[in-house]
Amino acid sequence: MRIGIDVGGTHTDAVLMDGARIVTSHKALTSSDVRRGLMEALDAVMLEAQINADAIDAVMIGTTHFTNAVIERKELSQTAIIRACLPTGSGLPPKCDWPADLSAALGDHAYMIGGGHLFNGKEIAPLDERALDDAIDKIIDQDIKAIAVAASFSPAVANHELLMAKRIRQRIPDANISLSHEIGRLGILERENAALLNASLGNLAARVVSSMQAALEQRNLTCPFYVSQNDGTLMSADYIARYPALTFSSGPTNSLRGAAVLTGISDAIVVDIGGTTADVGVLANGFPRESNSYIDVGGVRTNFRMPDILSIGLGGGSLVHDDGGRLGPQSVGHRLVSAGLAFGGATLTATDIAVANGSTAVGDMTGVAHLDAGLVERATLTMHAMIDEAVDKMRPSEQPVPVILVGGGSILISRHLQTASTVIRPEHAGVANAIGAAIAQVGGEVEHIVSYSRESREKAMTYATTQARSKAIAAGADPDTLRVLDIEETTMSYMDDDAAKIRIKVVGNLRQFL
Amino acid sequence: MKTIGADHIKDLCAGAAFLATGGGGDPYVSQLQAERLLTKFGPAQLLSPLDVPDDFFVVSVGMVGAPTVTLEQLPTEEETVGALNQYEALTGKKVDAVIPFEIGGGNSTIPLFVAAMKGIPCVDGDGMGRALPEAQMMTFPIYGVPPTPAVIMDAFGHYELLECDDALTFEKTIRAKAVAMGGMISSAEHGMTGQLVKRCAIPHTLSFATELGRLLRSHGGVIDVIQDRLTTLFEKSEYGVFKHLFTGKVIDSKRTIIGGYDVGTALLQSFNHSDTTMEILIKNEYLVAKIGDKVVASVPDLICIVEQESSRPLNAERMRYGQRVSVFGIGCPRHYRSPDALAVTAPRAFGFDLDYVPLEDIKA
Repeated sequence: MRIGIDVGGTHTDAVLMDGARIVTSHKALTSSDVRRGLMEALDAVMLEAQINADAIDAVMIGTTHFTNAVIERKELSQTAIIRACLPTGSGLPPKCDWPADLSAALGDHAYMIGGGHLFNGKEIAPLDERALDDAIDKIIDQDIKAIAVAASFSPAVANHELLMAKRIRQRIPDANISLSHEIGRLGILERENAALLNASLGNLAARVVSSMQAALEQRNLTCPFYVSQNDGTLMSADYIARYPALTFSSGPTNSLRGAAVLTGISDAIVVDIGGTTADVGVLANGFPRESNSYIDVGGVRTNFRMPDILSIGLGGGSLVHDDGGRLGPQSVGHRLVSAGLAFGGATLTATDIAVANGSTAVGDMTGVAHLDAGLVERATLTMHAMIDEAVDKMRPSEQPVPVILVGGGSILISRHLQTASTVIRPEHAGVANAIGAAIAQVGGEVEHIVSYSRESREKAMTYATTQARSKAIAAGADPDTLRVLDIEETTMSYMDDDAAKIRIKVVGNLRQFL
Repeated sequence: MKTIGADHIKDLCAGAAFLATGGGGDPYVSQLQAERLLTKFGPAQLLSPLDVPDDFFVVSVGMVGAPTVTLEQLPTEEETVGALNQYEALTGKKVDAVIPFEIGGGNSTIPLFVAAMKGIPCVDGDGMGRALPEAQMMTFPIYGVPPTPAVIMDAFGHYELLECDDALTFEKTIRAKAVAMGGMISSAEHGMTGQLVKRCAIPHTLSFATELGRLLRSHGGVIDVIQDRLTTLFEKSEYGVFKHLFTGKVIDSKRTIIGGYDVGTALLQSFNHSDTTMEILIKNEYLVAKIGDKVVASVPDLICIVEQESSRPLNAERMRYGQRVSVFGIGCPRHYRSPDALAVTAPRAFGFDLDYVPLEDIKA
């Protein structure tokens, strides 16, 4: 059996699962103490099911800790960046587009040295080892341990980043090094930003991981634990200390993956309705469809692999305006249980409409009995139209799609949606994110720029797939269960017809679940 | 004299993205570079083409190559101004002012910081009034400016002097050089006198794009709200005609790369009449718009598409199913109405089997 725990900003959800079966689930307010919050969640599900620690094979944890640290500029380490790009690239140095407060939180430690590659795989310059050593001297002087390295076209040719990391490790054995090609995609500004944020979170990640370990040990859990990442796969504990930033969007991802498990459907639109917003995402092949555009994290452009999520201002606490013609984006949020009419309050909310039209049994009907039937009907139609439009924007084509509703606010949608082939409201939808966290799959991904005039398409694909497989195996995957999840091939305009960018992603089951 | 400083760049880039008619790539790198360099060297002086002295020598500067390359190979401060310096050294001519190739996309900002760095003015105008994919489509060669001597420079400062007989050969040559020299190069080309600038340049497009971008960015909401203001803005400009063509959602978008160009079609469906659809034919830019079988706008007139809710211009690369958009047809500047101009920019120049009909002559 395994335990999935999703630590959100407000709530911590936990489930105990036996295969695909949910044994027990639990929801509580998030504790500011990581260790204590986890112990409480573990206790809640294990006591209720009367399960001993030795029956647990693994614990999977999703957390918003690292996203919040960046947004609040808290607990970030002083971090250096060395970019190999000269003689090109000097016009736009690292962090040139950062908000001043976040830049200051990481300190003024940016270096550019000779190196990097061109689109065709040739060196811009040999890696300037002397300049590298000079930069490392200064980094040692300032006693900085968190270091990001980046090089032009490193997603295609990584060796300059690898050489830099090797040299840094020789001279600073306890350095915490983030290599940009392991974290982001093409687009060096965004990728080095991603690597910088990742490196700056290393110390915090080490502390959080040891708190997690301590919580498990205190409950006599000797099984491995994993942390869920943005793409819906897991990473092991030693991995998270190196890649904390890959958890930035694990909340929405886990709820998408949870919806897939709860319904057994692998291609669908998932609508997660909370108190203030509805988050709409796409399940493709059982995993979240990823966004292709830049993702803003704390005011910085990054290109992490993140799920493509459309958020709209409709949730259980949304205010009702214009006689039901418009709802949100203002919301009473977590005050719904005191402010809403159905809970004895004085504010007309979306949930009150759901109570009044009979789609939910929560709250007190007498609080909404005076509402005009026309208003209730209009507001009901408006809510359905808002979700319909959001689903339509996200679905891949005009074909109606299965729509899975999860989250506490899913009671708002009681009727059919025009965009949906079928509307599914699974049981346990309230803890879908914890269920999503409990899924035991790991993945590997590579992105290469290739030229089909120099090597055949088949050979390029085979090589990229092999690389992706080794990454997945390194992350803990059982080689026999690996499958190719996604192949993306983009030809490049204004170049030779045969230059292309390929991205390959493989996933497989965790080894110990053989 | 007017100036454009770092504070104006976001507005200019938003306006330039609108006028890029779906092409022009991601202008983020050139936006950042312009903001940094105009902060460091001060605002660029804008010189109206009408005020350029006849004996001034003006050179067009910008970058040529694959936009994807600049995502990884970031610029130096010197590379475009370097091409211009070498141009002066190799031709022995002092350059009095620079002018953009095209107002659509990232090439609109580059001449501004080159001008600021050289301490010379930038002509408030350009050679396209929009974005178009090839050099022979610029008004400069169309109205008699020889493209060469031209000096191209790569990121390492390697440079080369190009001499070609005609614009078509120049286009082929510079494209091949860009691929051979790292995927992206700077170019100083189309040297011309002030007298020729008056004849060729599409006037006031830099200040127009900045004003347009300011309107789009300060609004930021549903495009319908500012449609009247957009109409007024375009009608009193060099473009003259501004028509709302369509509002609806993208129901299909297909593209492939053919001969280095991003070629495809997009299908939009009307919100009000679900059986009314608009087809957009794309070759890097939006080139032809049809409702049913009827062509409602075609190149060289501008077809501009914005996201309906945010008024943000929509790049062809980002178009996908479900987006709510408004489509506008905008009259091309008068420079593109001559037979010589239409020979290289009308739909047939892009391989579409249809005649150009001016936007204002098409009845709904």
